[in-house]
Amino acid sequence: MSDELIQIEEEEYTSNLTAAVFKRIMGLMKPHMHWVVGFFITIALTSCGDAYFTYLNKEIVDTGISLGNPAAVIHIATIYGSLILCQAVTVFSFVFLAGILGERIQYDLRKMMFNHLQELSLSYYAQNAVGRMIARVTSDSGRVADLMTWGVVDTTWAFMNITTSLIFMAIINWKLALIVSAIIPIMMIVAVQFRKRILVEFRRSRRANSKITGAYNENIQGVRVVKALQREDENLREFQTLTNTMFRASYRAAWLSALFLPTVQIIAAAALGAIVWYSGDQIRLGAMTIGGINAFVSYLTFMMWPVQDLARVYAEMQHSIASAERIFKLIDTPPEVHDRPEAIPATTILGEIEFDHVHFYYEDRNPVLTDFTLTVNPGEMIALVGPTGGGKSTIVNLLCRFYEPCQGVIRINGRDYTEYTLQSIHSRIGIVLQTPHLFSGAVRENIRYGRLDANDDEIEAAAKVAGAHDFIARLEKGYDQNVGEGGNLLSVGQKQLISLARAVLAKPELFIMDEATSSVDTLTEALIQRGMEALMKGRTSFVVAHRLSTIRRADRIIVIEGGRIAEQGSHAELLRLRGHYYRLYTQQFRHELEAQYGVMKEESEEEALAAD
Amino acid sequence: MTTPTASSKYFDFRNALTNNRIAGIWRMMSDFRLPYAAATAALAISAAAKTCTYLLLGYFADKVLTQQIYVAGTLNKTLALIGAGFIAFAAIEGSFSYLSGRLAAFTAEGITRRLRDFLFDHIQRLSFSYHSQTPTGDLIERVTSDVDTLRRFFSEQAIGMGRVIILFAINWAAILTLNTRLGLLSVVVIPLILVVSLWFFGKLTKRYEDYQAQEAILSTTLQENLTGVRVVKAFARQGYEMSKFEKDNWGKFLKGRRLLIMQSLFWPLSDVVLGFQMLFGFVLAATMAIRGEITVGDYLVYVGLVVWLIWPIRNLGRLIVQTSTGLVSYGRLMEIVKQTRESLTEGRVRPDGPVRGDLIFDHVSFMYEDGKVDALKDISFHVKPGQSIALLGSTGSGKTSLVNLLPRFHEYTGGHILLDGEELKDYSREYLRRQIGIVQQEPFLFSRSIRENIMYGIGRQVTMDEVERAAKAAAIHDVILTFPDGYETLVGEKGVTLSGGQKQRVTIARTLLKNPRILILDDSTSSVDTETEAEIRAALNELMEDRTTFIIAHRIQSVMGADVILVLDKGQVVQMGTHDQLVAHENGIYRQIYEIQTRIDEALENEVASVN
Repeated sequence: MSDELIQIEEEEYTSNLTAAVFKRIMGLMKPHMHWVVGFFITIALTSCGDAYFTYLNKEIVDTGISLGNPAAVIHIATIYGSLILCQAVTVFSFVFLAGILGERIQYDLRKMMFNHLQELSLSYYAQNAVGRMIARVTSDSGRVADLMTWGVVDTTWAFMNITTSLIFMAIINWKLALIVSAIIPIMMIVAVQFRKRILVEFRRSRRANSKITGAYNENIQGVRVVKALQREDENLREFQTLTNTMFRASYRAAWLSALFLPTVQIIAAAALGAIVWYSGDQIRLGAMTIGGINAFVSYLTFMMWPVQDLARVYAEMQHSIASAERIFKLIDTPPEVHDRPEAIPATTILGEIEFDHVHFYYEDRNPVLTDFTLTVNPGEMIALVGPTGGGKSTIVNLLCRFYEPCQGVIRINGRDYTEYTLQSIHSRIGIVLQTPHLFSGAVRENIRYGRLDANDDEIEAAAKVAGAHDFIARLEKGYDQNVGEGGNLLSVGQKQLISLARAVLAKPELFIMDEATSSVDTLTEALIQRGMEALMKGRTSFVVAHRLSTIRRADRIIVIEGGRIAEQGSHAELLRLRGHYYRLYTQQFRHELEAQYGVMKEESEEEALAAD
Repeated sequence: MTTPTASSKYFDFRNALTNNRIAGIWRMMSDFRLPYAAATAALAISAAAKTCTYLLLGYFADKVLTQQIYVAGTLNKTLALIGAGFIAFAAIEGSFSYLSGRLAAFTAEGITRRLRDFLFDHIQRLSFSYHSQTPTGDLIERVTSDVDTLRRFFSEQAIGMGRVIILFAINWAAILTLNTRLGLLSVVVIPLILVVSLWFFGKLTKRYEDYQAQEAILSTTLQENLTGVRVVKAFARQGYEMSKFEKDNWGKFLKGRRLLIMQSLFWPLSDVVLGFQMLFGFVLAATMAIRGEITVGDYLVYVGLVVWLIWPIRNLGRLIVQTSTGLVSYGRLMEIVKQTRESLTEGRVRPDGPVRGDLIFDHVSFMYEDGKVDALKDISFHVKPGQSIALLGSTGSGKTSLVNLLPRFHEYTGGHILLDGEELKDYSREYLRRQIGIVQQEPFLFSRSIRENIMYGIGRQVTMDEVERAAKAAAIHDVILTFPDGYETLVGEKGVTLSGGQKQRVTIARTLLKNPRILILDDSTSSVDTETEAEIRAALNELMEDRTTFIIAHRIQSVMGADVILVLDKGQVVQMGTHDQLVAHENGIYRQIYEIQTRIDEALENEVASVN
């Protein structure tokens, strides 16, 4: 819903049509020149054919009927028939070519953007909503492709049609053709003005529509509060102002559209009237025939469609170009974290890790991490604790080199880690996130993500080490069970076990774990603990810790508050201080033991639905 | 505030409930049948005017050009008259086509508006159990896309079919009048083209669905990749992700091509069939004209009209296929419409003032509609006005079910609840809900300003002063002032994100403003840190002053001060009394819980002591 609003807002941003952008858009066609050329040729042929049909009709009247010549009728009909068959081929070709070109350009754009998104740094993801990126890849690419195909189809067809019609009219009678050519600009101006107004209303109605969806959504989700507070009538009143706005905008858009065609038609009829009035002299002079008049009527009637199409393309073009600009902006964003030219692959990262006066911020005024200094010995286990938003995740992200320090240096084995290649660092890190992220597909494939060339035995072995094997074996389809979108068919604990197995399989040298805050049942919890222990053996590890058992096991505990180290030391040392750590610890202690003793243990979820 | 007139603000779609979908749609159109009939009539006039244009052309060719009969005296005057005739017919055709479009839009948008209003209100008045059983996404899908499908049915398909049929009828009648044989032979292929286009559009719809399904797969892959960016980067799986996306992306291209082939085949193929039908008519008519069976003018009329007879038929197949989706949407919407609302107003007891808050539960039992076992069994207790009663028990023990009975969110299925001596079911829901305030465990705030959230559902004019006083009492005023726009700060995506504790205090402020006699506190401070817990507790104590209060609790600490404590297990009361009474009861659950919590505190002290 909110994604839709984002899109609507973006559409309203009007871009300056720069020649450079337009050129770049057209450049997208280059790899598919064979289709482009074929498509221009077939569309040109089609519109010539269309105009020629009308001319043949005139010939039937003038050389067939007027002269009483049945043979001529048959002759013309033969040409007409062959033309129908030829048209079938050209119409098929241009519809197909335009369509395939559109699909292909969309494909190209999506691929280009997706691949670039893989290279972009985490900071880009932190600053841009996923909804926007998705809009770029899906709807913006579609809009650009539409401009380049149906926009071009309509424009070409319209121009060709108007031109060929005018040529044929000029052949029949050039003076009358001049009258017609005079009204074309008038028709165009009227059409464009209409289109613009319709588009404004249309967008207004889309905006109202997305607000309506939002209102539905909120009212249904909050229906219990609405009922408890008896807000029904007031809500309906508010909703009705939305539906009224929607009604006004869509009604206006609809009747403007209904007015549009008749207006163009009447302008065309005025030209027709002028032609009839003027034709008297021409007929007397023998410059005009009955068939000719009829042909003019046809040409005029069918000239309205191209005018309409041109107006539509013109009105929508700006938005497609704005879409293209946004796409190019994404593609042109350089990744902030990238390999230095002289970067070398790290042979190992199992060594001393040193944060040396590291500062990190997105904006200068808002430091996320200030003057962070820490040296970690190989094989050491560090627990990071502290309130949410204190900077724990930032430390982990810096360590993984998802971000790089704004000031200060991070050294691995005594060497600034930016001197290593990203690939060599990342491939040696195992990570388990707080909200474990799985990909839709089989359990097996999710574990294999840790090492793509692992065979099924290795996957199973890793699952056993991580303590995930037993629950996987109990799944209906075992390792082939689908985990659902984002792993949603599994519980948080199960997801975490699978991501542990995934990390085990990767055989990392540095292990990073962000513990889940939400409660996991006791058995799973014990399994996770055991899996973690297995993973930490002989490795340096960083754990953003919430569980007492994890915290107690750490070699060193770092308490982070407000982007700084508040306290650090061993469990015993910190407890003795009776400071930040003491408070955090006692709170967690009560919490966990209550759960452990089953004071209020979870029994069933039956009631939860009605309860919330 | 709540008035029974609310339902008169919109058309009641429950009147449109019927098993016959066509009849149902007819009923939905009540009040709009006249404009819709007028739209159809205008369409017919417009089509007739178009036909007249061609008749005038025939007249012009025969009488003026061939026979040189000048109705207006001279040729020039006659030509001027005929020219004016063309313009006049175009004006009639245009104005009526506009009128028809406008009336159809008025109907479609009007019906849609009142349908939206109705659904919005209907949904918020459906029972708790309905909402518990219906996923939000499904409801949203129906009220947005199904409503839109119905809108298109009225604005495009119904009127579009009318247009095709009227054009056909009028033009065919005109041609038949011209020459019966010609008329009959001109429509030979129409049944064929109708059948083919029906088959084709059915097929096309299926391929289109395939294409959309692939698009959904692509979006999922994209979404999973973007949200899981840290995993992708941590395992350095960019290449793998690219090839996965490539597969789906190329799949979409292929599905697009399949769809495209179908599309690009239909138009040229039907062009050929219809083109030859036309050519056949042309040759036939031309031969007849040469033989003198019809005039040249008749020929021109025929050529002009036959275009409007044949080509629109091609669209009929599409319209029919789309109409069937409109009927499906009607059915899906009616499934919501047929749900019964809970009545807010019915109830025998209507006290003028507020309740005192004396509540007696007398052997109350309750079972959910779809339940197999009682959610509550044989519950009896008595709370006097101003007393507080605490409900202690694990999740699923029936605490929430019990309090949900008070505002009649659910109806008890056995026993009696007496409020101030009267059966609870005899009070109207509207009255009860005004007397009861609820502070939920996970408070729901609406995406509007904090001020509006505090005033939400109060149902009377509230001054800013009152809002601030309530906020101060709820210990949230100072927090609000730190936000950029103070009380006007928006909550949610576009504004500030409030913590769980802050949200809870906003709802406490709201409840203070509402000033109910009976209070339900879903007390959960487990997710809130220590400092805020104290603040919330103070705010709650303020709130509980002289009100009958129900406290749902998980911890002994929260219930100790209550006048009565009920210990619930599996829907039954297992213990009841004050804290002191319950603690004295050696073998009771309450005593056990109490002891465990004491033991935890001791264990903690021991641990801290051991490190010293």
